[in-house]
Amino acid sequence: MEFVRPDSIEAAVAALQADGAACLAGGATLVAMMNADLVAPDRLVSLRDVAALRDAIRRPDGTVVIGAMRRHRETAEETDLRDGQRVLSEAAAQIANPPVRNMGTIGGSCAFADPAADYPPALLAADARFALIGAVGRRTVPAGDFFLDWYETALEPGELIEAVILPPAPAGTVGSYTKLARVAGDFAIASVALVLGMDGGACTHLAVAVGACGPAPVRRRDVEAELIGGGLGDAEIRRLTDALAEAFDPVDDVRASADYRRRVAPRMVRQALVEAQQRLSETL
Amino acid sequence: MTGEPVTLRVNGAERPVAAVAPWTTLLTVLRDEFGLTGAKRGCNQGVCGACTVTIDGEPVRSCLSLALNCADRDIVTVEGLVPAGAPAGALAPVQQALAEGNAVQCGFCTPGILISAHALLRRNAPLTVDEVRAGLSGNLCRCSGYKKIVEAVARASEARP
Amino acid sequence: MTPLDTSATGVGASLPRLDAREKVTGRAQYIADMVRPGMLHAAVHASPHAHARILGYDTAEAQAVPGVACVLTGDDFPDGRMGAFIKDEPAIAKGKVRYPGEPVAVVAAEDEETARRAAALIRVDYEDLPVAATPEEAVAPDAPLIHEGLADYFKVFPAICGGNVASETELSEGDVDAAWADCDVIVEGDFETPAQAHLSIEPVGALAEVDAEGRVTLWSANQSVFRVQANVCEALQLPMSKLRCLTPKVGAGFGNKMEPHVQPLVVQLALRTGRPVKLILNRTEDFETVRARHPFKIRCKTGAKKDGTLVARELTAVLDCGAYGDDSPGVLGYSLLMSRGPYRIPHCRASGKLVYTNRMRFGAFRGFGNPQVTFATESQIDEIAGRLGMDPLDLRLKNRMQPGDRWFGGGDVASNGLAECIEKAREASDWARGRALPAPPGKRRALGVAACAHISGLLATGAIVRLLEDGSVVLNTGAVDIGQGSDTVLTQMCASALKVPADRVATASPDTDGSPYNWGTTASRVTYTTGRSVVAAADKVAEQIKRHASEIFECAVEDLELRDGGRVGIKGVPDKELSFFEVSGRAHWAAGGPIVGTDTWVYNQPSVDPKRAIARGLPFPQIGVYSFGCMIAAVEIDETTGKADVVEVWSAMDVGKAINPGSVEGQIEGGFVQGMGFALTEEMVFDGPRLANPSMMDYKAPTSLDAPFDIHSIIVEAAEPGGPFGAKGIGEIGLVPVPAAIANAVAAAIGTRLRRLPLTPERVLDGMLEGGDED
Ligand SMILES: Cc1cc2nc3c(=O)[nH]c(=O)nc-3n(C[C@H](O)[C@H](O)[C@H](O)COP(=O)(O)OP(=O)(O)OC[C@H]3O[C@@H](n4cnc5c(N)ncnc54)[C@H](O)[C@@H]3O)c2cc1C
Ligand code: FES
Ligand code: FES
Repeated sequence: MEFVRPDSIEAAVAALQADGAACLAGGATLVAMMNADLVAPDRLVSLRDVAALRDAIRRPDGTVVIGAMRRHRETAEETDLRDGQRVLSEAAAQIANPPVRNMGTIGGSCAFADPAADYPPALLAADARFALIGAVGRRTVPAGDFFLDWYETALEPGELIEAVILPPAPAGTVGSYTKLARVAGDFAIASVALVLGMDGGACTHLAVAVGACGPAPVRRRDVEAELIGGGLGDAEIRRLTDALAEAFDPVDDVRASADYRRRVAPRMVRQALVEAQQRLSETL
Repeated sequence: MTGEPVTLRVNGAERPVAAVAPWTTLLTVLRDEFGLTGAKRGCNQGVCGACTVTIDGEPVRSCLSLALNCADRDIVTVEGLVPAGAPAGALAPVQQALAEGNAVQCGFCTPGILISAHALLRRNAPLTVDEVRAGLSGNLCRCSGYKKIVEAVARASEARP
Repeated sequence: MTPLDTSATGVGASLPRLDAREKVTGRAQYIADMVRPGMLHAAVHASPHAHARILGYDTAEAQAVPGVACVLTGDDFPDGRMGAFIKDEPAIAKGKVRYPGEPVAVVAAEDEETARRAAALIRVDYEDLPVAATPEEAVAPDAPLIHEGLADYFKVFPAICGGNVASETELSEGDVDAAWADCDVIVEGDFETPAQAHLSIEPVGALAEVDAEGRVTLWSANQSVFRVQANVCEALQLPMSKLRCLTPKVGAGFGNKMEPHVQPLVVQLALRTGRPVKLILNRTEDFETVRARHPFKIRCKTGAKKDGTLVARELTAVLDCGAYGDDSPGVLGYSLLMSRGPYRIPHCRASGKLVYTNRMRFGAFRGFGNPQVTFATESQIDEIAGRLGMDPLDLRLKNRMQPGDRWFGGGDVASNGLAECIEKAREASDWARGRALPAPPGKRRALGVAACAHISGLLATGAIVRLLEDGSVVLNTGAVDIGQGSDTVLTQMCASALKVPADRVATASPDTDGSPYNWGTTASRVTYTTGRSVVAAADKVAEQIKRHASEIFECAVEDLELRDGGRVGIKGVPDKELSFFEVSGRAHWAAGGPIVGTDTWVYNQPSVDPKRAIARGLPFPQIGVYSFGCMIAAVEIDETTGKADVVEVWSAMDVGKAINPGSVEGQIEGGFVQGMGFALTEEMVFDGPRLANPSMMDYKAPTSLDAPFDIHSIIVEAAEPGGPFGAKGIGEIGLVPVPAAIANAVAAAIGTRLRRLPLTPERVLDGMLEGGDED
């Protein structure tokens, strides 16, 4: 095994082109797997010294670009995330525990793509895009096309996540993240990320993504679109939760049964939407 | 040990190691190379918190930190909580609070708890019970039920100047 | 040196732990921290199979790895077998494997990485055997036999066994079958509890070293140096005089470190290599191979009269033993002894079966079967209260054992603080406000109660108290302080008995060469049994001190008294006194010889009175004295998900006398949170014979955010006549009522009785949706 610590993004990409090379970000997942003898990359490319990956920038239009090496604690405390974008900081604050939040990065978490992780649904609800860079250059991929299957993403071999791009959330929207876990800091049994805007009882913005209920986070843009412009009462919420539930594909695991996930996630969505509406009406 | 040489800054001292393999963790180097056995290995998976140290002032898992990735960083272990030069047997206030508050039972979690608590206490304001509970939530203790630990850390935060 | 507050040191003072400074500075040495010159590191090759015959080994590749010093397989171990109740377990698999993860071969090498790499290169040829993964499968007519030699194994009690049944026990009083006709209300139900992992934050390990004469010294994570010695010597067929067992600091034991784990493996490696050998299990190995709390299936039926008088109970339990007997027969027997609870129930029958399976062995875990049966029995007390419209606390008070009443089976009960525990918990929790509590929107809150009893046990113990030349004291008991603080409380007792400050008493570390026998730190026994010996031995020292003084002052021994600060003087004559220094100097250099007090004893009150009870296959002829407790928990349920959290708890426990109140609270608080994990989140999930969640990532114990901060410890002191200063144990009882109290609160909140642990969000939500009113 070889260890390299490039100090530029270009050098990192170059180092990644070898067979069996892997990025080392926070190490919270990768080193744990190495300790358990589950993986042994031939080359570890530490991204520690690539300064550009550590920043978060808010552009004048409200777009926020978060470097892949931004740690969970920093994202949790990120004041540049505003309105509905706060869904991401709420999610970051609920990952693991303080020492792990001091280590883990948004790039590492998304690249690993644990279906029970907290960022994937939050990013999907925030309409985020991934900025990727590889030997052939840069490209961006919407979150909905990035998380493909169990632990599988759109990353090509030799490609790395450079940043996560959050579009501006419409002013006055609210973002929230709700997680059900066995104990504090555990991976989710199920989680709900949402961004909501209401104007005098009518829904102006609606994005709901559910985590841990299938190989990738689940969102029903088709139904969301139908609900825009109307109220968001029991019946409307029911339409959305029914549609989401149709798209769930959960499994039984040590955290909970698939059956429970199917039943509890719609209840969590309903509760989260009710609470988000309350939050909106309180801020008016 | 095969691998590269590296120098780590631990508790204020530069400590060279002749050869560290890429997969070797900071925890292993602290314990096996430096004899700093205060940091404990409870899981080697980042969950239990017994190996917690601070790197550049922030508590992290030494079992998930590769030693080669820790060069040029400031590492503090439980052995470094008492400032260098303090009289022999001196305790940091948080150590004293835990010892006197009956907050130490088997003691295996204690070094990690102290490191997390120490990082929390760098904040100026007195800490509320809930802030301490959240701050220590990455350190499992199977003996105490946490109450006396939380009380001790909250008390130590009030006693701060 | 930063001084710790040690202003009060005697019995009744919350003296900080004697080893607190060592632990907060990171200097305390645990087994993994130990290094010996020339030390090798070991690793285990574990069985991938649940049940298979071993046809052969190929260790050539492993032996060839540079740095490997020794590879041993079952063929390299003697034929001895160990076991606390049934001698059924070899040091390493021989001939066949009986559970996944069972050690099959071991390697010693220059470093751990090499040892692990080599262990993975060992090839073992297996022939698969049919697997019995559960007690149901194991008692099926065509089940494979797990221990062909069961009938011939040596057993320390008259075990009723056969097939895959390791032990069957029954205990009864009265005429249960006839008594149901006298009951106005009968509740009946099936209860189930899962395997719980001890999850000491320290994984187990051991280090052995051989001297030139071939005598071995063994350090290990343990709860009894004497049990380690006995187990290793049985398994390796060594004379006990050839093995000396010592202990480093122990990173907690909850039963997991009482009986053997890897000690026999390192001893054999050390004997073969002649070098020190250390083996530390990683967390997964620790999960898969050490031991865990038994899964119980319990059928329970309880009947009462209209006025609430309890009349009859019948309880049957089936325990998964796992592949080896370990402490299991004891757990079965003890759980049945506890199945009547702290009540008068004239007609009672309890029976159970312990069944070998191809899973990891199950064994002792804080509570020793009592939390499981108490979950069932205390749930039913609440069900009866519900059916009769009675207050659950009043029903418990009405039926509680009265002075002079015997324990189930006939054991003598000398002290009983149950009524005070119930009243104090009632008052502190403001029970009168009603069981349903105000809750935030989307939540429900309710109170639940459970009462319980437990023992402070049993078996043999001793103490040696020596007065040093300068009048200071060394106490040597052989009791391992596993973090619960026994060194501190024993020192406090010794200091109080001799009226010296605690810092004048040194506590010797347990050593099978130099310490008096101590069965172990288990069964909530050290404070009570060892404390008794400490006081008795200190009293003998005091007598000798007085005899010297009487010779010097030429007065009667009866006229002398010990005075604070290590002095002896004539009663009523303040200036006639001597220091211990003067007395001990005389004893060492002039007259009488150095002053040493020793005491040993073995607990011998019978637990069964054949005139009152019928007992079959019961492994405990004596169990100990009784403690009592009552716990009230306030539980909050999330209506969206069904997740249950404990928000506040009142735990009133009768400890006889709190030698160190801070330590007692620590046991109550720690026991509560461990019990809460058992009730709400902890479950070892099995996929057939295999543990599916052998990691801390997948097995979840409570964090500081899950545990309530408001744990109110209420210390009740119903002095035990034979106890040291009146004390009895507190190590386990604080956990015993937890699942029942939480389940009773959950039932009050959701209107459905849940009889299966853990009370996961799924089960609670289902119960809530099922709705209906409780019973
Ligand atoms: C105890 C514990 C609890 C946890 N709890 C949670 C939780 O509740 N919720 C949750 O969401 N997560 C949780 N995690 C996971 C945590 O968030 C990790 O930090 C995260 O999954 C991985 O991030 P990392 O930066 O540590 O990545 P690493 O471990 O360094 O890398 C992970 C993987 O991503 C690859 N990689 C890293 N960076 C990049 C990049 N920029 N481009 C391409 N590939 C890259 C690596 O090669 C590796 O394959 C937990 C982890 C632990 C140890
Ligand atoms: S050993 Fe590092 S967190 Fe457990
Ligand atoms: S004191 Fe034992 S784990 Fe915390």
